[in-house]
Amino acid sequence: MPQEKLDFLQGTLDLLVLQTLVTMGPRHGYGIARRIEQVGADALILNQGTIYAALVRLQQGKLIKAEWGRSENNRKAKFYEITARGRKRLVTEAENWQRVAGVVHRILEADNTPSFP
Amino acid sequence: MSAWLDRLLARWRAVFAKPALDAEFDAELAHHLEMQTADNLKAGMIPEEARREARIALGGTEQIRELHRETRGLPCFEQFWRDLGYAARAGRRERGFTVVALLILAVGIGLNTTVFSLVNTVLLRPIPFAHADRLVWIFNGDPTGSSHSLSAIASEVNTWEGLNETNRTLEQIEAYDPFSVRQTYRLTGAGDPETIVSVDVSHGLFGMLGVSPFAGRLFLPEDGVKNAPGRVIITHQLWQRRYGSDLRLVGKTIQINGEAVEVIGILPSADPFTSVFFPAVRVDVYVAIRNDQIRGRGNTVTLIGRGKPGLTIESIRADLRLALARIKKQYPKRDQYCSANVVALHDWVAGSLERPLFLLWIAAGFVLAIVSFNLGGLLLVRGALRRKELALRCALGAGRNRIARQLLTECFALVATGSILGGVMAWGFIHFLATRSSVEIPLLQSLRLDGMALGFTVLVTALSVVSCGALPAWKMARDIDLQHSLKDDGRGSSGGRHQSRTRSVLVIAEVALACVLTISAGLMVRSFFKLLKVDLGFQPAGLIAVRIDPTLGGSQANFLENVLDRVRALPGVEHAALTDCIPVERDRSWGIYPINQADSKDQRWTGAHIRLVSPGLFAAMGTTLIAGRDFNLSDKSDSPPVIVINQSLAHEFWGDADPRDRMVSVNGNTPCRVIGVAANVCHDGPEVPADNEMYLSLHQVEDAGSWDMMVRTNLPVATLTKGLRDALREIDPTLPLSKVRPMQSLVDRTLSSRRLLVWLIGGFAAIAVGLAGIGLYGVISYMVTQQTKEIGIRMALGAEASVVRRQIIRQTMKLALGGLALGLGVAFIAGRGMQSLLYGVASDDPIIYVAAASTLLICALAAGYIPARRASRVDPLIALRAD
Repeated sequence: MPQEKLDFLQGTLDLLVLQTLVTMGPRHGYGIARRIEQVGADALILNQGTIYAALVRLQQGKLIKAEWGRSENNRKAKFYEITARGRKRLVTEAENWQRVAGVVHRILEADNTPSFP
Repeated sequence: MSAWLDRLLARWRAVFAKPALDAEFDAELAHHLEMQTADNLKAGMIPEEARREARIALGGTEQIRELHRETRGLPCFEQFWRDLGYAARAGRRERGFTVVALLILAVGIGLNTTVFSLVNTVLLRPIPFAHADRLVWIFNGDPTGSSHSLSAIASEVNTWEGLNETNRTLEQIEAYDPFSVRQTYRLTGAGDPETIVSVDVSHGLFGMLGVSPFAGRLFLPEDGVKNAPGRVIITHQLWQRRYGSDLRLVGKTIQINGEAVEVIGILPSADPFTSVFFPAVRVDVYVAIRNDQIRGRGNTVTLIGRGKPGLTIESIRADLRLALARIKKQYPKRDQYCSANVVALHDWVAGSLERPLFLLWIAAGFVLAIVSFNLGGLLLVRGALRRKELALRCALGAGRNRIARQLLTECFALVATGSILGGVMAWGFIHFLATRSSVEIPLLQSLRLDGMALGFTVLVTALSVVSCGALPAWKMARDIDLQHSLKDDGRGSSGGRHQSRTRSVLVIAEVALACVLTISAGLMVRSFFKLLKVDLGFQPAGLIAVRIDPTLGGSQANFLENVLDRVRALPGVEHAALTDCIPVERDRSWGIYPINQADSKDQRWTGAHIRLVSPGLFAAMGTTLIAGRDFNLSDKSDSPPVIVINQSLAHEFWGDADPRDRMVSVNGNTPCRVIGVAANVCHDGPEVPADNEMYLSLHQVEDAGSWDMMVRTNLPVATLTKGLRDALREIDPTLPLSKVRPMQSLVDRTLSSRRLLVWLIGGFAAIAVGLAGIGLYGVISYMVTQQTKEIGIRMALGAEASVVRRQIIRQTMKLALGGLALGLGVAFIAGRGMQSLLYGVASDDPIIYVAAASTLLICALAAGYIPARRASRVDPLIALRAD
């Protein structure tokens, strides 16, 4: 799957965005960016603008869908919402992540114990 | 997977919705900034700071926009599109170069695709029959195999049936009657009476060949038995032409020669049987062979067999030899002229075309090579001229990869446009060739534009364009010494010298190839003219053949003499006489042997073409009677039989002795007395030497199905036809008179494939010479441009214009002579392979060599003179200030 070969960070960001939309429901770009900052994941992104590349990527893959609506200050804003395909993707990607993270964690742990004199 | 596909589609769409998407994203960004600023204000910042912090958090707006565009669109494609636009602008700027390059490309690609398609259709691809690779041609022949007349290669029905029963290697053997196509019939009812051509085929032939009916059915075994009801399959074109494509025709009856026959089927519009076996003949109906009705009539059928899977031709050949031996044992009386030779059907059909088409193929390859060299030379010149432009772009910050890509895109644009033009050209040529219904090349009518051929040609040209255009230019851009290139005009640098050597080599090769082509074309053209001058033994000019189908019942001879009397009385008709067998078209042989009064055992059988004629035929044909007399009306059925033979037969029997009053037996019948000797007639056209011939009076032998009246007249065909119609209405109002043909056109038809070949090769040679001229011109004129300053200095120092001119022409000639020497050498060696295609010309014919060399030299002179004149008019002041 080409998606798997995507840049590591890109994949991470996409995963974050999908997870955000699942937990928070439909959101606009700024809302998603704030949420990512709140959970302390802003270390993963260069700046807030990077979010929009992830959003267009996900939208083109029909993992999320977008609609223009009214934001809390009554301005026109583009709201993003996760699709069924997005949820499915999130589940598989999250599993992948956890598996990889587990492996990496084990390796790092093992390396910490000096086995070589 | 589908998310990936959706994304690709969305990206593709995004390329074309750029303004809308940009606007939408700008709105989104504006909203983002607004929200962030508001939050910042809430956090207690002053408005100025809140806005600034919001921008910082978002990142550079322009970069984000760019990132967005790249993510959502197809950056590679968009860039390619931009490059293409640039290439188009550059092409428009250098209009002269573009037009010439595109023209060369189109001609090269068009011609080559046409020839490759032709070779592919006729030679390489299997014949369009089912299991074509297993089909074999089984032909009879005398033991020496020298005679290729139809009667000699056709077989008897008994042999066919015997082979069919006793062979072990063939699934089936089917047959058609090659003589039947020469017979014509009268189609009457519904519209004007019409002369139609019918071919007799065995009932299983179409089934074996995999021809399926467009409507109705094919023949069944019961259609081939004796006294079966009359049934025909008609061709698609007769159905369309005469019956208005009415499908209800199937099952109805039509009137052929006054007999009602049922139409049982209609063939599809592409009739592979006719296009393979009778190219240039318009067959109208097919009739099933009834074996019992033609049994014992001599060699009447040609055989096609289908081998069992996995067998070689050799094993089939050996098997048929055994089978034939068994048959001969069964019927010991069978003469020695009975054999069953086997060749692959494809070889039989296309074998004779192998060499001419191969020659054509090589010629086309040469043209393609010249096109590539020429284009290469042009591109090298252009690349050198663009040095500065490329250096400038480098200096302005274009990356080397960027420039390489740009150059490749330009090549792509050039080749793509050229290919489209060439494809259109090839399509036109192929359409033209496929509609030449009078050219006797099998399968020509089924010629189509061959995708493979087009692809191959385009690939070759693309490679040459890239290797000559993009590669050197890119290398130059890579090695560019910016300062130097921008200041200097590049002359004298090592790269330039290397390139000018490459260009010279290319031009020499072009001239050499053009020289070989010109010589080949010259040889072919000379052969053709020699063939046109061959004495055919009759005078086709002013001779018109009129097909007269005899009325049914009653005496044919009387009817025919009646017809002749009326026609001879027509104004403008010099002679009129009848024959059953006009030259070129018909071909039938009988056996003959001289009866030696001294020794009656002397029976030297030989085969000779037989013609049944009316008195006055020799005069009408313009055939000289060498000795003796013509038939006259006193040679009747009840008077002693007489015969006229040709020189060849007379010589074979009696050497130089006078053949008159000697006795011969034809087909073992009553002895005939030789009354005259006629000049040999080239029966199969000028390329085939004359064979034995004999003439019998139609008043004494009536064994013929249809007659042709040979009318010597200066009247045009239409006028003659009208006169004939009026004159003959009283005798037979239903006489169709739809086959009135000048003999010259029939003779031309025998030369049709050669004529086509000559035209093509001649055209190739002309193009080659033209391209070589352009190539020379390009190199010399570039050289002059490069040396403008030098020339200016020399002229300022007092050099005369004529000296400058001469020097430049000398340089041109040096290149041309180099190419010429190479070309003459190659032509001399390659010419030997052509000998079998030539007629009356040696492959090293000095006249042709001299003519070809002079043509090329004149062309070179012209190509050199134009730049030379320009050089000699250089104004020293302007030249010195240039660059």
